[in-house]
Amino acid sequence: MRAPRPARLRRDPRGERVLQPRPDGRVRVLRGEAATAAGSPIVAGVTAATAPAVPVRTIEQPAYLVLVVPDAIDGRLSAQDRDLIGLGRAMADADGGAVCVATFTAPLEDLGTAGADRLVDLASAGDAPERRAAMLQACVAREHPRHVLFPESDWGGGDLGRRLAALSGSPIATSAWRADLATAARRAGGGTREVSMATPLILVVEPDVGEAVTGERYEARIVDAPGAPDLAPRVVDRGLRPYDPQSVALEEAEFILAAGNGVSDWAAFHALASALGASEGGSRVVVDAGALPRHRQVGATGAITTARCYVALGISGAPQHLQGVSACEHVIAVNVDPNCDMMKRATLAVIADAQAVMHALLVLCRDKGG
Amino acid sequence: MDEAAGLQVVTLVSVGRHPVTGRARRAPLDARAVELGLRIPGARQVLLHAGDPGAEALREYLGMGVETMHVVRCGPRDDVLPALRAPLRTLRPSLILTGMRAEGAEDSGMVPYLIAQSLGWPIVAQVADVAIGRDGKATVVQALPRGRRREFEVTLPCVLAAGMGAPAPRPSAYARAWRGRMAEASVAPVADARCEGWQESLARPRGKRLRAPRGGSAAARQRAATVVVASGGAVLQPGSPQEAARAILEYLRRAGVR
Repeated sequence: MRAPRPARLRRDPRGERVLQPRPDGRVRVLRGEAATAAGSPIVAGVTAATAPAVPVRTIEQPAYLVLVVPDAIDGRLSAQDRDLIGLGRAMADADGGAVCVATFTAPLEDLGTAGADRLVDLASAGDAPERRAAMLQACVAREHPRHVLFPESDWGGGDLGRRLAALSGSPIATSAWRADLATAARRAGGGTREVSMATPLILVVEPDVGEAVTGERYEARIVDAPGAPDLAPRVVDRGLRPYDPQSVALEEAEFILAAGNGVSDWAAFHALASALGASEGGSRVVVDAGALPRHRQVGATGAITTARCYVALGISGAPQHLQGVSACEHVIAVNVDPNCDMMKRATLAVIADAQAVMHALLVLCRDKGG
Repeated sequence: MDEAAGLQVVTLVSVGRHPVTGRARRAPLDARAVELGLRIPGARQVLLHAGDPGAEALREYLGMGVETMHVVRCGPRDDVLPALRAPLRTLRPSLILTGMRAEGAEDSGMVPYLIAQSLGWPIVAQVADVAIGRDGKATVVQALPRGRRREFEVTLPCVLAAGMGAPAPRPSAYARAWRGRMAEASVAPVADARCEGWQESLARPRGKRLRAPRGGSAAARQRAATVVVASGGAVLQPGSPQEAARAILEYLRRAGVR
C-alpha cells in the first residue's frame, strides 16, 4: 500500500494577477512581478471596475419626432412600455428622427436608458382620460410628430390612443403587431385576416413588438409641455376601490405570499396573507397535499405569475416552480437551506425557518395595525 | 328600485366568431354589455346592430331576455357609423352600452369612441359594473389589470364600453331567441373611407418571441439560458425570526407593495 502523499500547498494562478482597466474599455492583465510592481489591489469585479460609462447619444436637429406614450403605471415602465419605446427608437433611427416620450406621472426610472431623446411632462392634464387626450392633441398640434405610439393594454394606453384618434379624426391602426416608417400590419376578422396599410399617424401596438433598448443611453432632454387644456372632465374620478386580493386570479396578482413544504401552520399563513394584503399561492407539494386549492398553485402546471413582489416561504424552488415566478420583479425567499434554487433566484434570501419568521411577521403586522 | 325607470338603454351588438370552430356566435364582450344593461332595473332595452339582418347568431342576444333588436342593413365594406347614427337619433337613448371591440369585422375597437365623439357624449372604457342613481348620474366601475377597480361618476347620457371585467353573460334561451322581434331598417350605404388602401391577406400564426440573452461569451449566454443563475440578491442570516421579519417588512415597504 502506498503511503499518502504529503499535503502540497496549492497555488491559485488567477489570484496572483492584477486587472488594470484601460481607457479603451479593455482589461490589461498583469502577472508576476508586474503585478506586484503595479501595487494596486486585485480588482474583484472586472465588469464593475472596467465597464466604461455609456456615452450619451444626443440628436440636436431631428428630421422628425416619434411621440411615444407609455402606460408607466405608478411611474414604472413595464416590459411592454420598454418594447414600445424600442419600436419608437427603431422608427426614429430609420430616417434621422428622434424619440419623444410623453409621461403623465413623474417617471421613477431613467428614460434615457430606455431610449428617449426628448421628454415631455404632461402631468398637468391630471388623471381624467378626456383631459389627457386633449393635452396630447395639443402636443401633437405643436410638435407635429410623424407617428404617435401607444401600448395596447388595459391600463389605459389603448383607451388613450383611440380617444386621440376620435378627437382629432386622425387615422389609426389598433392592435398593430408590425410597424415601420412605411407600413403597419394588424389583425382583423377575429384574428383570421391580416391587414397591412401605410403607417398611420396613431399606432396602438400589441405587446412583444419592437425590441427594448439595452446598453445605450439617450439624452431624455426635457421639452416644455403645452398648457393644461381648459376642459372640465365630464367623468368624475372617484379613485380606486379597495379590493380583496384573494379574488384576483394568481396570474394577475401584484403581491403573492406563497407557501411550500416548510410551512405547516396554515392558520398563521392565511392570517399573514390577509394582514399583508397578499394573494395566496403555493408550490405543487402543498397543493397536492390538499392544504391549498388547485387554483392557488404557482408553477409550470399552475399559474405563471407576473407579480411585482413574490414571497416564498419554505419553498426550495423546483425548476417548474421557478418558471412560475420568472417574471416577478422582487422575490423574497425564506428557507433553512441557503443553497436551494429559490434562494439563488431571490432578490432577498433570508436563511431562517419559515414557520418562525411567519409568526414573527404576523406579530409585527398586528403591532403596526393595532 | 325604480331609479332607472323609463331609462332608454341601447346596446350595440355584433356577430362574433368562435376562435376554434369559426362558427358565428354572440361576441363575448357585446354579450357582457347586454348583461350589464339587463342588470339595470326598470330600464327599457333595445339592441342595435349594423350588418346582415339574416345572421342567426344575432338571435342569441334576444335569447338573453331583450325583446327588440333593430338591424340596419350594412355591407361588410360599408361604414357602420352612419348606419348606427340614424336609428340612434330616433331611439334617443340615455345610455349606450357596447363591448370594447367587435369580433369578425375590422375589430379596431374604435366604434364606441367614434359614436361618443359624434354625439358629444363622454365615454368610459373597460366597464365592469354600472349603477344608475336618482339624480340622472351613473356610478361606473372600471376594471383595470391586477384586480384594481376604479370608480367614476358620469352624468347621463353617456357611452359605456364593457370589458372582460363585466359580469359573465347569462345563457341564451332558444324559445325566447325566436320570439324576439327583429326590426329591419336600411340607410344609404357609405363606403368606409378609413379602409382605403388597405391590403388584406390570410393571417398566419404569429411566432412567439424569445428573449435571447445578449452580450457576454457564448458560454455565458448558454449558462444564462439553462442554469439558475444567482440573481445577486441580498442574503440575510438573521439572529432571530424577529430580525428576519423586520428586514422583510422593510424590503416590502421599499418595493412599494406595503
